[in-house]
Amino acid sequence: MNKWSVWFLIAVAAFVSALIVIALHYYRRAQKSSQRDWRRLLMRLTIVDRSSIAEVALDIIDESGQQRKDKGSAVLEPSEIWKLVGGLEGLEVLEANSAVLIDLAFYVQQWYPEALAVAEQLRLSAREIEWHVERLKSAQRTGKLESAFPMYAQPAVAAYYLMTRRVLALYEEGNLAMLGDLREAL
Amino acid sequence: MHLTGLDLLFWAAGLCAHFILLSVLLIRRRFMVFPIFTAFVVSNIGRTVALGLVELYGTKASYFYTYWSLAILDTALQLAVVYEMYSQTFRRRGAWARDLHSALIWLVIVSVAVAAGLTWLATPHVRLWMQVVVIKGTFFSSACMSELFVGMIVLAVRAGLPWRTHVARISQGLGVYSLIDVLIEAAHSYLGVGRNTQTYTMLSHFRMSAYLVCVTYWIVMLWRDEPRSRKLPKDFRGQLIQLQSMVDSDLERIRARRRS
Repeated sequence: MNKWSVWFLIAVAAFVSALIVIALHYYRRAQKSSQRDWRRLLMRLTIVDRSSIAEVALDIIDESGQQRKDKGSAVLEPSEIWKLVGGLEGLEVLEANSAVLIDLAFYVQQWYPEALAVAEQLRLSAREIEWHVERLKSAQRTGKLESAFPMYAQPAVAAYYLMTRRVLALYEEGNLAMLGDLREAL
Repeated sequence: MHLTGLDLLFWAAGLCAHFILLSVLLIRRRFMVFPIFTAFVVSNIGRTVALGLVELYGTKASYFYTYWSLAILDTALQLAVVYEMYSQTFRRRGAWARDLHSALIWLVIVSVAVAAGLTWLATPHVRLWMQVVVIKGTFFSSACMSELFVGMIVLAVRAGLPWRTHVARISQGLGVYSLIDVLIEAAHSYLGVGRNTQTYTMLSHFRMSAYLVCVTYWIVMLWRDEPRSRKLPKDFRGQLIQLQSMVDSDLERIRARRRS
């Protein structure tokens, strides 16, 4: 057995093992999310202060999601936003909750495949929030978190706020029985 | 080439299994959803028949060229089936999911690079240079296929995109078979092909058995119907379309706010 043959066998063994482990891990994750009932999904949501989220979001957008241009808009100070959102940890909670919201939309999709378009938009919104949180983490690494926070955090909170409203609308329009509990959780 | 009774048994079993699979695709009208996969099954039937005829009436050289020409076609069709499965999962609204563009490109690049690296490491102990090409070529294609199927699972789960039941079943079958094939081709490479081809033939029979199990799995799964979905009420559909356009403008406004 020459040196290359040994390396080849080790590499193939590592390659196949890695693929099997990755496939099983993600396959089980997919199975879980398709079998999980909506109550368990809701249990994954971390409770956030809904009034604080609304206050930060409605500082730049109105109830319909339109950008506010009146004199009373965008008046919150960075320190207030920081406090209301709960800092970077608060944003990370919103990021995690966004993933749960996608799963909730996924749940509706199982029964109504036509809801795919909404789920797609929800996913893109979640990615956008993820992007904002990522920028904030970079700012934290370079010591510029305080100045970057209002620039990225407020749009992320506004996106989260709109997402929660969108998911509620989706459930409401689908006349789904769990709407009351969902409202409670969001 | 001398064919044993076992070789003939595998030949006949493969042909029968593909005929049954094709019947399922036609009777259950799955060929309309999976045209490339159906073409792949038809090509397998054609390939099995053609090789049988060449074996009976042709020369050793003509068998060799027919076998490898059809093997290239088979690999191309397998890659096309991968494309069809990706398309059914990531292009369900007529366009590729836009947040997955770069991930898909990277997946293809990494899959090809890793498969090429592993293939480069392989040093088959053979007598003829053609056998090196055969073993390395098959190994590369199996490694690529298995990576692409595992990558598909990862991307779909991470993106939160649901799999349609039949897409999942076809992908599982081809993915598991590709992984088994990687091991068999690695064994071919390691053990080599000497004057005595007994080990090589035994491994090939094992590969054929794995493929027959895979075809049987497809027959059963494609015969079954997908879980029935509820019909979306007409007014709900209208509201969803409205909601989607609102969402688009919401995001645009948020982006504009970020830029200002």
